[in-house]
Amino acid sequence: MHFSFSSIYEKTKTKELIAGLALVSVAVLLNMVFGYFAMAFAFYLSFFKWDYIGSMKFVGLSNYKIVFEDIIRGIHGAPYLLSPFYTGLKNILIYTAIVVPIQTFLAIVLAAFANQKIKGQQFFKVSYFLPATTSSVIVALIFVWLFMRNGFINYILTHLIPGFQPIDWLNNRNYLLLAIAMVAIWGTSGHFMVSFLAAMQAIPKEIYEAAMLDGAGPIKRFFYITIPMLKPMITYVVVMGLIGALQMFDLAWVMAGANGGPGGAGYTVALDIYNEAFTRIRPGVAAAKSWVLFAIIFTTTYIFQRKYGRAVR
Amino acid sequence: MKKVHLGMLLLLLLFVSIGSGCIGGQQTVTVTQTQTQVQTQTQTKTETKIQEKIFIRFAGWSAGETEMKNYEKIISEFEEKYPNIKVKYEVIPQMFHENILASFGAGVAPDVFYVDSSWAPIFIEKGALHPISEFASKDFINQFYPFLLKPFEKNGKLYGLPKDWSMLALFYNKKLFEKAGLTKPPETWDELLEYAKIITEKTGVPGLAIYLGGFNRYVPVAVSNGAPRPWFEKPEDASWFDNPIVKETLKWYIDLYRIGHVQMVKEGKKPYVVQPSDVGAGWLGDAFGQQKVAMVISGNWMIPFLADQFPNFKYGEDWDIAPLPAGKAGRVTMAYTVILGINSKSKHVKEAWEFVKFVVGPEGQKELVVKAGHTLPSINGFENDPDLWPQHKKTLSFIPMYNDLIVFLWGSKSGILENKFSDAMASAMRGEITVDEAIEIMKQVVKEELGG
Repeated sequence: MHFSFSSIYEKTKTKELIAGLALVSVAVLLNMVFGYFAMAFAFYLSFFKWDYIGSMKFVGLSNYKIVFEDIIRGIHGAPYLLSPFYTGLKNILIYTAIVVPIQTFLAIVLAAFANQKIKGQQFFKVSYFLPATTSSVIVALIFVWLFMRNGFINYILTHLIPGFQPIDWLNNRNYLLLAIAMVAIWGTSGHFMVSFLAAMQAIPKEIYEAAMLDGAGPIKRFFYITIPMLKPMITYVVVMGLIGALQMFDLAWVMAGANGGPGGAGYTVALDIYNEAFTRIRPGVAAAKSWVLFAIIFTTTYIFQRKYGRAVR
Repeated sequence: MKKVHLGMLLLLLLFVSIGSGCIGGQQTVTVTQTQTQVQTQTQTKTETKIQEKIFIRFAGWSAGETEMKNYEKIISEFEEKYPNIKVKYEVIPQMFHENILASFGAGVAPDVFYVDSSWAPIFIEKGALHPISEFASKDFINQFYPFLLKPFEKNGKLYGLPKDWSMLALFYNKKLFEKAGLTKPPETWDELLEYAKIITEKTGVPGLAIYLGGFNRYVPVAVSNGAPRPWFEKPEDASWFDNPIVKETLKWYIDLYRIGHVQMVKEGKKPYVVQPSDVGAGWLGDAFGQQKVAMVISGNWMIPFLADQFPNFKYGEDWDIAPLPAGKAGRVTMAYTVILGINSKSKHVKEAWEFVKFVVGPEGQKELVVKAGHTLPSINGFENDPDLWPQHKKTLSFIPMYNDLIVFLWGSKSGILENKFSDAMASAMRGEITVDEAIEIMKQVVKEELGG
């Protein structure tokens, strides 16, 4: 009896289908286990009270009730320790509003420069992209050092701006989130620059040539040709940026600490989910919170895609 | 636009075909590899059957490299004595109890692991710990200080034996005291504050370092001034914070930093109270060892660190230990202890007990605690051991001076409450909220954590 995979494979008529499925199966399987199963389990978990050791107890929607009570309490102005989810949400929305537009804008500008035939552009491309290759924890640690009261950033600012008083960035509730946002912008613009660069290089040269014959200068060409042609990529970058910013964890964890630093100024929703699951030992509530966060991210990106993603097709 | 898509598609196709080529080439290789792996696995399985070797996993946090080395040493001594048991030592440096809980959730909890007194109730209530009283003889248990066993008892059963313990004491820099014209350590809490101011004024070095937050560091202040011991079991227990002594002492403790640092800096004066990071130190021991502060209140774990990291900063000559200052109702200190708990779901409970008995018993404590000088032995009778470090001996000698010795435990959810209380206290110390607001938050936390 001879049985082998290759003989069966040779005989089938749908070779391509099998090959295709085989190729994607690993990725799909991994995605199923670590993506969809984890999501589904979190959804299941969000209806239970559990402390990891004992058995799970069904509690209906009470975990979601905790989350919404937290938000309502926050709106009514409770101190940040009593409304951690609200605090995290508020911070992360401000953070997203700062980070996403700036990083997108910077990425386009950097890409436009990198796309020119300037001497040494390869060097700039590499140096802009370098932050994206470094672990975000290491990046955050370096910036913690740069942001210290006697650190490099204050040193530069005091020399650039006359009369500038050094800021204790990380220990001041008014500046902590801004400091984290600056690191995030520095760390991600280079990454998105590469996306824009690829999109720019795919724009047909003929269009520019035609525009040049019509007498359009470089600035006009940038705004009337490059930007419109980049629209699908802009949508992509903004959506990815939104998702990344709303889920931000690592930078806050290192720069502000698990409790969000002074006044909870660096507290994020992801940090709160982590604390809920592992310090308060309420995985059910953590799961409910992560589903609320998911709903927020899903609706934001969906609305954005609907509005701006469609025009492309 | 279509051109772009086509180009990208082509590029994608190229990648896929290259990728598939690679995977196709590797497939045969990986198949043979897994086969050999399976073979070796079955081999080791049969081997273990022949020798009947049992593996147990032991998880702890680390108080430094020396402690890890000492544990590795004691493990190898144990394995020599019990050749059929192998111990795998796992060090979890951060969020230890949270990690252990999560590993229970995943079903991969270690067989033996540290449990701090403040976290013990959660583990005991849920049946995660195997009762030690099933194995240990009365005589064996009676060797331990009884007050250290209390947190680990429930319904007449004992769930663990402390590997060692520590208590808070006042560490002070003798040279800085001399410079400031002070001859002896402060006797009362008010004197402590006064001394801190004098030292800062005379030497320029901040007098006292504390942590922001740290409910457990505040409790001895409250109780020594006449407040009842904190105990939170039901939502109504939040009323502890309504006690006028609690309020008054909490304000005093928070003001140490709020006035002693925040306000001083605002007014452009030199702060007389700091937190370690204010003087560029990682923790109290580091700040004290670098001689950047004159006084800290800390536990015995600081002693081996100072000896190891600051050999030129000598005990007796440069620094000394004193009992915690007294309040209106006498002296009170805090004790911290950790057991080696046995996982009730472990398949090798008996072997785990052999290991625990070896480590926490007289033999193990002599090596790990007395000789190594980490902390205080939890077994009676080592008080006059010639190997006991003089610093530890001195802290032990303070015991009769204390009216009360509180073990770090405030009810079934101590670990969680401690975290939340400390957050509120830290917030008040930084001046973000008032003391009354902090008290309201703490009361709310008690009600929420213990209600329902």
